[in-house]
Amino acid sequence: MSKKSYHTILAAALFFFITGLSGGYSRIHPSTLVEHLSAEPGTLNPMTATDAYEGMINGHIYEALVERDRDTLEMIPRLAERWTISPDKMRFRFFLKKGVRWSDGPEFTADDIIYSFRVLKDPKTANSHVKVYYLDVQSVEKIDRYTVEFLYSRPYYLALEFCGGMPVVPKHIFDDGTDFNTHKNNRLPIGTGPFKFQKWETGKRIILEANENYWGRKPGIKKIIYKIVMEQNVALQMLKKGELDVVALREIQWVRQTGSPKFTENFYKLKYYQPNFRYIGWNAKRPFFSDSRVRLALGHLINRKAILDKLMFGLGEMVTGNFYIFSKYYNKNVKQVEYDPEKGKRLLSEAGWRDTDNDGILDRDGRKFSFTFMIPSGTEFSERLASILKEDFSKVGIEMDIRKYEWAVFVNKLHNREFDAVTLAWGLGYSGDPYQLWHSSQAEKGSNFCNFINSEADDIMDKARVEFDESKRVKLYHRFHEIIYDEQPYTFLFAKPTLAAISKRFDNVKVHVTGLNIDEWIVRLEK
Amino acid sequence: MKKYIVKRILLIFPTIIGITLITYLMVRLAPGDYTSLKAGMEGELKAGSVGREILEEERKLYGLDKPILTGYADWLFKFVKLDFGTSRKDGRPVAERIKDALPVTLTLNIITILIVYIISIPLGIYSAVKKDSLFDRGSSLALFILYSLPSFWIGLLLLLYFSGGENLNIFPLGGLMSEWETEPGFFAKILDIAWHLVLPVITLTYGSFAFLARYSRANLLEVINQQYITTARAKGLSEMKVIFVHAFRNSLIPLITLMASLLPGLLGGSVIVERIFSIPGIGLLAFEAILSRDIPVIMAIGSISAILTLIGILLSDLTYAIADPRIRLESKI
Repeated sequence: MSKKSYHTILAAALFFFITGLSGGYSRIHPSTLVEHLSAEPGTLNPMTATDAYEGMINGHIYEALVERDRDTLEMIPRLAERWTISPDKMRFRFFLKKGVRWSDGPEFTADDIIYSFRVLKDPKTANSHVKVYYLDVQSVEKIDRYTVEFLYSRPYYLALEFCGGMPVVPKHIFDDGTDFNTHKNNRLPIGTGPFKFQKWETGKRIILEANENYWGRKPGIKKIIYKIVMEQNVALQMLKKGELDVVALREIQWVRQTGSPKFTENFYKLKYYQPNFRYIGWNAKRPFFSDSRVRLALGHLINRKAILDKLMFGLGEMVTGNFYIFSKYYNKNVKQVEYDPEKGKRLLSEAGWRDTDNDGILDRDGRKFSFTFMIPSGTEFSERLASILKEDFSKVGIEMDIRKYEWAVFVNKLHNREFDAVTLAWGLGYSGDPYQLWHSSQAEKGSNFCNFINSEADDIMDKARVEFDESKRVKLYHRFHEIIYDEQPYTFLFAKPTLAAISKRFDNVKVHVTGLNIDEWIVRLEK
Repeated sequence: MKKYIVKRILLIFPTIIGITLITYLMVRLAPGDYTSLKAGMEGELKAGSVGREILEEERKLYGLDKPILTGYADWLFKFVKLDFGTSRKDGRPVAERIKDALPVTLTLNIITILIVYIISIPLGIYSAVKKDSLFDRGSSLALFILYSLPSFWIGLLLLLYFSGGENLNIFPLGGLMSEWETEPGFFAKILDIAWHLVLPVITLTYGSFAFLARYSRANLLEVINQQYITTARAKGLSEMKVIFVHAFRNSLIPLITLMASLLPGLLGGSVIVERIFSIPGIGLLAFEAILSRDIPVIMAIGSISAILTLIGILLSDLTYAIADPRIRLESKI
């Protein structure tokens, strides 16, 4: 090759390289929102999806009959115009909005509701996690084209929330005789919401665009790109570089990496609480933890404030019970279990745990106080918590072994009740019925894996389920909260906030009780 | 030779059955299954973690209620017809998921392996020739330092310093391609991909030099001390000729063994690099499948890499015969 042609090629390559670079930087349109997804959802079918990411995306595509007001937490109309409830609280009649269209054209009618309920109940549909909420719905009947009626087999105060919140999928798309679980539209959703699905580039991004024919108020944002970036540190870099507009932050990022004036000038930092709480569960079937005094004593040995400050940078609220801290059910009069090792020791010795053989470990009836603490692997918080507990407990003569398991194994052990103590978090609903967590009927096979059994608590939970007067229910649940405090089946730790950084390219970014609402954001005009 | 090849190919089939059976047994016998994972992820359980009866129903959907051997037979029967089944995560055919991830991983691995070989082997030869020189000592120290740096750390540092908003801004923050508004030209596209691959390839390669360089150095040293090299030198051949014609060729034989791992290595992805650089490759696919007990995906990836490994071993055995005519294949079985 002659030297000259070599040079020409080099120059050409350089030229293409530079154009390649600048081309790659094709600017994102101002009315496009780029949001971070830390993992890819499996499907975008609201009926079968199991992960949180699906909900984030489908919330813009699919709608339900009713929705929760973001501030008052009351149920308000969405696809239903209004509803009536029969006096026996068994029949829920919904009157659908007229003229609502699926994004591909056909009108949304009662048939879609009937079909959705049919697939929901179909044993062939892989949605056990959804079915469990509809066990008491006997039937759904079509009254006319725009009216449906749900029939419950027994009254339940959350019935409106469940039947009104049922996922609604288009009959004309899914009812084509093919398998629902692997239907092609599971990855090509068609809904009635303010956005419609545009494109899914597997492993990279999912793109939605504004639904021009939306029946309600049209959002200011015209396009949403969900970009899949698994590494949290990289996502924050992308935010700073302008490649992402919304990123969920980790505590350490909130405290240490987003404090510069440059950052606060360009980004909002927002914090809100979704219903969740972290706890340590004591398996009451084990001899150590069958006595509520021991469980309370352990609570006194745990310096929760220090743990909150150390492991979560103080970002979180200490809780005393299972209810959502901002709901009426949460009893604010219940006091925190304070850090008091002396009191803890006293309680332990009252319960019969003393060091009789002087080996430094408490014992009772010849049995040493030595148990295992089960944690899921890969969660930094649990690992650090476990080592703090191990040290604190050893000071008073309790021996604790840490057992770390991969999540699938961990869940399996939980189901089989093969653990002494465990740390976990619950993600709950806003109107948290504690039945699944604490009712004695759930101890054998349900979610009451710590085997909490208390007849007064059972009674309250049964009564509350059929109590439609909210103020009476609040009273019942406040009493329930006290029982939970006295019994200490869990040592309650913290409610963990959701932390987000959002580009100031957008205006009207409000923090509601339930979080953010992209639909109301306004795109700021370029300066 | 022909008879040998046929024999070896026929042997592949029972081996595959053995490997896949063991894989299947391991996945099925491991605690936890796909249905129980619906209860939540990463230390947070969802409210109403599903009652047992409903889970049992759902297990039936996936055939998890059947005996393990029946399950394996079902899988094998489909596999023979090249039907890998559908992934439990997204209900898509497994073949399609692998097809999505494969080109990404292949590109990355071919480039990486080429670079590693092109740099390490000459480095090894040079070190062997200049044994105990400053270069030999220095390069081996440098390579071992590189070898011991953890890739997740280096990967993040590279991103922070070369593509962050705060320091140098030369490379993109992950991904494989820019988000084009209009379809780019062919060259622009290639360059764009190359531009995206720089940091991941650096992260994948730097740690692999040490092994191959030391390996080829050791092999060459062994050969250099042989008598026929002394003879070659005594004949008055140039040092170039001695090293490359007489010594290097003979030192290749142990390297061929490594080639057996090359073929499956092409398919194996790196979970860490793919995660840090947001590259949707085979590594992540397999990793996620294992965590979520997505049996069809695990089995598909497992059996493909088993087949590639076996073919790799076969090929390297055949190459032995070419590189070293003394090796008689017929007697080997």
